[in-house]
Amino acid sequence: MNADPQTPAPPAALATLLARLRAASPGDAGGDAPGAAPRPRGQPAEARSAPRPADPRDRRAVPADHRDLRAVPLDADRVAVFTAAATAAGLIVHHARGTAWLPTVLAVLEKLGARRILLEPADTTAFRAADAEVLAAALRAAGREPLVRPDDDTLFEGVDAAVAGVAAAIAETGTLVTASGPQTARGTSLVPPALVLLVDPAQIVGDLLDYFADPGLATALPANLNLITGPSKTADIEGVLVTGVHGPGHVHGVLRGGGGEPGGPNAPRTPVF
Amino acid sequence: MTASDLRARLAAGTRAARVVAAVHQATWRKVAQRDAALAALPHAAALRDRAAEIRAHVLARLPDYLEQFVAQATARGAQVHCAPDAEAAVRIITELAVRRGLRLAVKAKSMTSEEIGLNAALERAGLRVVETDLGEFIVQLDRDRPSHIIAPIIHKDRRQVAETLVRALGCRYTEDPTELTQIARRHLRDIFRRCDLGITGVNFAVAETGTLVLCTNEGNGRMCVSRPRVHVALLGIEKLIPRLADLPVLLKLIARASTGQPLGAYTTLITGPRRPGDPDGPEELHVVLLDHGRSRILAGPHRDILRCIRCGACLNACPVYRNVGGHAYASVYPGPIGSVLAPLLDGPSHADLPRASSLCGACLDACPVKIDIPQRLVALRAEHRARRPRAPRVGVRLWAWVMRRPWLYRLGQRVLRQMVRDDGDGFARRGPGWLALWTAGRDLRRPPARSFRALWNEELRDER
Repeated sequence: MNADPQTPAPPAALATLLARLRAASPGDAGGDAPGAAPRPRGQPAEARSAPRPADPRDRRAVPADHRDLRAVPLDADRVAVFTAAATAAGLIVHHARGTAWLPTVLAVLEKLGARRILLEPADTTAFRAADAEVLAAALRAAGREPLVRPDDDTLFEGVDAAVAGVAAAIAETGTLVTASGPQTARGTSLVPPALVLLVDPAQIVGDLLDYFADPGLATALPANLNLITGPSKTADIEGVLVTGVHGPGHVHGVLRGGGGEPGGPNAPRTPVF
Repeated sequence: MTASDLRARLAAGTRAARVVAAVHQATWRKVAQRDAALAALPHAAALRDRAAEIRAHVLARLPDYLEQFVAQATARGAQVHCAPDAEAAVRIITELAVRRGLRLAVKAKSMTSEEIGLNAALERAGLRVVETDLGEFIVQLDRDRPSHIIAPIIHKDRRQVAETLVRALGCRYTEDPTELTQIARRHLRDIFRRCDLGITGVNFAVAETGTLVLCTNEGNGRMCVSRPRVHVALLGIEKLIPRLADLPVLLKLIARASTGQPLGAYTTLITGPRRPGDPDGPEELHVVLLDHGRSRILAGPHRDILRCIRCGACLNACPVYRNVGGHAYASVYPGPIGSVLAPLLDGPSHADLPRASSLCGACLDACPVKIDIPQRLVALRAEHRARRPRAPRVGVRLWAWVMRRPWLYRLGQRVLRQMVRDDGDGFARRGPGWLALWTAGRDLRRPPARSFRALWNEELRDER
């Protein structure tokens, strides 16, 4: 077995499985059963007898970088691509220039008829604690009830909508990304029937391939990372599309920013993840 | 399972007119959606090649990636278990549930859990198990089986769903899909509040980071991985991918192939259990690695089938699946992929399934990771024949005997031409004499007015 001192010895069942797989592994051309098609990527015969080291860098078979296949060019207008893709997926996108995010969010909540509203700020440029305080004050002034960290019963039965910030956004698919952490609960973007997510246009990445190729993502993965693309949906009954199954049926993305061409080719990008 | 069983099931499938109509409509729509989604994707062909390469590469180095995955997942707080077979997987999950005194399990749709028959075992151990995917929820209430790996109730229409919900939940009768969905939502919401065990499958597992990836649409999967205090993920060992950077190649294809969406509503990446300071999430994350025949398949000539990402595109594309429905396969995985997987996973009882195909190749065209399913079917047929040498060869010998006597062949053609009568649409539902055995499972095309030989002799020969 692997002698790496940091890896505890695997239980016997795993060791047995790995041994069985090594004996069966087609990693060496000689492992082919008679009559099988020849493997395009054979390995030298000496690799057959000695157990091969687990070396993830040995990727001769597959290119290490897939970004040659990106759908969204690097110089694309990411806000425009995001808006089109998100709209197609059923997300309602709002563009709020300057400080207009506040009236935009208030108008969205008004239209949703939301009275009790969960606010979840975090350390991103999308929705900070100071933003949440401003919004909470405005909601109270309008006779609404802002909530922070509700208990389970309230979360399930007493919240009409949640307002939170995203960790990132992906233009290609119109996706909003939320990450679990000390300030961000898994339930916030899932349990309430309506969800309003604030986005700093600088958080928008062009292509899925670019988002996942960021080396910072692999090293900083939260326990729960969600790529949210439109509302919760199903087509299980006769293929008819129904939204709002177990997650929110109404999802709004509010792009905030200082006017100009946010997210354009020369816009700065602050990768949170 | 005998050949006549298969024939009977296929015939029964085609006779269930309501089911056939429902399945036709749904599968054709999915095929159109898939085609449109892939046509709109830049580099679609290259992405398929790349996805096939990634999956083949993983299978070639599976033990290495598995070891890396286990080390990474463990380092991030997951507890990894190893199940050589279905019994072991069921025992591991049941024991850990009983030891912790867990009572209410919520499940996200997982074909792998169907494979090991998990629900019955958990219920015997005293747990209540609730399927929370809308389709699977209906299937469970009906004590039915899923008939499609992505759309479990593709064989039911809205009236049947309505009747089930009225009977099981005592709700008001409605045939409106939105209202039916809301009824299920309300019922399951209460369960999500109280559940203490979440059970899911896994779409992809990233070796580099020990991450589990779930691709879902309804949100029940997210509930199952964030509400209960224990999350158990059942992971078929072939589902690994090397790095996070490889994931988007597969993400770009899986939802398009499956439902025609660029990406499903929720792509969830789980890296360990709830962390210190997290306000919610499972305290324990258990990953159960399931072999259950996979290492045996890997060692044999059919290993390419393990590239499968369970998107269901081959089911939608298959003319046989479309006409007989998923239940006729009598296996956990129906359709073309099931015709290969079932005999390999479950052995002799499904040995005749590879015959339930016309080898038209639509499944190969549809497969996002380019598995040559027709080639596997032919190979499995040959293996099956090699084990049962006698009977089928009689027909082949008779055919060869006739073919060596051109006068007899011509006579036979002429006789058949007279005897086969179509039903007005160019197809004969019931052939004459022994041909009835053949037409029991298929329709026979009416012979053309002139045979190819006649055509050749009278016209084509001179055009050479």
